[in-house]
Amino acid sequence: MRHNQPLLRLLALLLLAALPRLASAQRVLLRADPATDTIPGRYGPNRAFYQHLYLGYTAVTGAAAGPGAKLRYPQSAELFAGLRNKWRVTGSTAVGLDARFAYLRYQLQQNSTKQVPNSQLHYRESLNLTQLQLEPFARLSFGRRGNVVGNYLDVSAWGGWALASNHSYEDRPGQGQGTRTLVREVRPAYLRRWNWGLSTRLGAGRYALLARYRLADTFSASAPAAYPELPRWLLGLEVGIF
Amino acid sequence: MLGLLAWLPATAQRPAAPAARYWVTFRDKGGQTLQPATYFDAAAQARRRRQHLPAFDSTDLPVRPDYLGRVRTLTDSVTLVSRWFNAVACLASPAQAAQLRRLPGVRRVEAWPVHPLLAAHRPSAAGPLPVRLPAPLTPADLALARRQTAALGAAEFRRAGQQGQGLRIAVFDVGFRGTDTHPAFAHLYRRQAIAATYDFLRRAPDVYRGGTHGTEVLSCLAGQLPDSTFLGLAPAAEFLLARTEQQGRERYAEEEAWLAAAEWADRHGADIINSSLGYTDRRYFPEQMDGRTSLVARAAAMAVRKGMLVVNAAGNAGDDPNWRSIGTPADADSVLTVGGLDPDTFLHLDFSSYGPAAGGRLKPNLAAFGVAVTAVPGGFERAEGTSFASPLVAGFAACAWQQQRDLPVMALFDRLQQAGQLYPYFDYAHGYGLPQAAAFRAVGPPPALPAPTFDFVVADSVVSVFIRPEAATVPTYTLPLLAATAPQTALGAVGPAAGAPAAATAPAAPLYWQLRDATGFIVRYEVLEVSQRAVLRVPLRQLPSGGTLRVHFRGYTASFEAP
Repeated sequence: MRHNQPLLRLLALLLLAALPRLASAQRVLLRADPATDTIPGRYGPNRAFYQHLYLGYTAVTGAAAGPGAKLRYPQSAELFAGLRNKWRVTGSTAVGLDARFAYLRYQLQQNSTKQVPNSQLHYRESLNLTQLQLEPFARLSFGRRGNVVGNYLDVSAWGGWALASNHSYEDRPGQGQGTRTLVREVRPAYLRRWNWGLSTRLGAGRYALLARYRLADTFSASAPAAYPELPRWLLGLEVGIF
Repeated sequence: MLGLLAWLPATAQRPAAPAARYWVTFRDKGGQTLQPATYFDAAAQARRRRQHLPAFDSTDLPVRPDYLGRVRTLTDSVTLVSRWFNAVACLASPAQAAQLRRLPGVRRVEAWPVHPLLAAHRPSAAGPLPVRLPAPLTPADLALARRQTAALGAAEFRRAGQQGQGLRIAVFDVGFRGTDTHPAFAHLYRRQAIAATYDFLRRAPDVYRGGTHGTEVLSCLAGQLPDSTFLGLAPAAEFLLARTEQQGRERYAEEEAWLAAAEWADRHGADIINSSLGYTDRRYFPEQMDGRTSLVARAAAMAVRKGMLVVNAAGNAGDDPNWRSIGTPADADSVLTVGGLDPDTFLHLDFSSYGPAAGGRLKPNLAAFGVAVTAVPGGFERAEGTSFASPLVAGFAACAWQQQRDLPVMALFDRLQQAGQLYPYFDYAHGYGLPQAAAFRAVGPPPALPAPTFDFVVADSVVSVFIRPEAATVPTYTLPLLAATAPQTALGAVGPAAGAPAAATAPAAPLYWQLRDATGFIVRYEVLEVSQRAVLRVPLRQLPSGGTLRVHFRGYTASFEAP
């Protein structure tokens, strides 16, 4: 064992050298780094840049432009969830870009005048679009405020591509021995897949009232001319997640 | 929302356009005079004489009635007339505001939105407004009730007969529900120590409504337990109670109510204003906490210029990642900002807001217990928040000022900072620490300068801090007279070097250290539990260029300059 003593000493020295260099063996009761934690942030609800998730519901409002496409309310609606990016321009103005998924459903009333997409009657029938939308907006805020969203008015234009579209209906009783039959006609040619429009939001904090107007037509050029244009207005509520 | 009551008469008479709040500043006070003997309370006149201030100055002159009359004619909704700022707050439509800008004598018209002022109170799990009688105090609560003043040196002040006699303290708060009937304040009403009250929201003298936060705060100045224990240090002072904001259902308040109350307090001879309130992120950014942006900060600074000491809670945003720092008016340089300490460790409470103020200015200034026993309707309860640290220090200031009555307010401000347990050490969590009554000892020997308790040793690339053997002893524990004043920790490292009487109530002394850059800004600070003499090693490369390593241990502070 004696010949191991120099080695042990060397090991002890190495251990000492490897000890934490700062405040070794002491319990830290409080620690703060003002050099880093007091730097004014550039990120926040009223900072140079802010990003947050949001979701909402808008009801299809109004009637179709002609007979043959009466809708059921409030089942005819759009549910959406997205990511908002906002850049502050001045204290009261900002610009932003929203990216969202929106699921729009037109629930068709089943009556004798129905023509869209045909006159067949079902237990339940709808036209559905799952869209990816982009929406640049300009924001005007009201009142001095700190690092909070505050009260604002947004105006925007939006456009989107229908990742999926379908015509679905349900029959009861179903075919054969079934109690019901569900049929989904995928990507019907008469539904336009590009959509665009204008929008406005009036918000306070995380809540906003929302109105969207669709400029694009619902139906494509290949749709029968008898198809009336479906309601263009969507009115609803949006909730920011922050 | 706070302005709603003030709006009612105006909107009833002038319903036409949607009104917004505006702040109208005038150019001059030409032709105005003031009889200070009639305008000011005798106490206010005496305060000015003591502090060698003129009997009045231009900021005390009234606003020109012709200017005021024109604004009233145009808007008919003036909610505040401020002599100090030669301005009025009013409600007007944008068109009326444009007309206001064209009026002769109008310097500026600013939009003045209504925003919330939040009490620096941290609601307990039971909620801020107890709907049931509070539970009886436990022995631990009773011990805390004694320690919240004992830690500041209540015994020393009491022996010297200093309990705020002759001082007038204004308390601005959300309401004083139950104050007039609570036995804790019976001694105040017996000797008619409530000099005046005013509700600046309802414009009535009755302040015994709204929230109980003011009752709790007042109890930390002058409340008394049934066993005669005082919960604050100034039970013999006189008080002005001002309701300046709302809580609960009517939670919001405005800065102008604070300003109006400050002018009122000045006129009624207040020596000290205690305000346990603060604006934070609903209106401001942290970088705007510069003492010049908010009206309350400017009003508080003006109050100090009139000779009043303004004591304000640091706020309870320390654990709020979106804010963390002090609010306003605690950001004003001349406002004594008080942070919260844990009664068991004497260290910063997580929720107590941190400094620095914008621009790296030193805040908070001092600290006191942020957990305290307070009076609430129906009894007493333990509450937490820097709201209660603030009146504890305000009571301390009253006793100190009583001892040196002719001290100018900013000289008192400096003396209070120097009375901090950590002084001259300072950090952004504790300020100068818990003030000690011994620093204001009127008779007997002044507190001895602390003996060195540690040394810096430089070896190679490291500077080490070694505690001296004589400061590293743990003395035999001696039973206190009352268990309430016993140390609260088992570490028992209260040594003779601690010196001050409060050491008997203090837990083991930790070591405070910090790195400061060449401008004095603290770039890093820590508090260490001391368990060995070789207590700290800092690589020299970590010292900022031209900066210092500053260390405090048991009353002794020393710095090591970067080579």
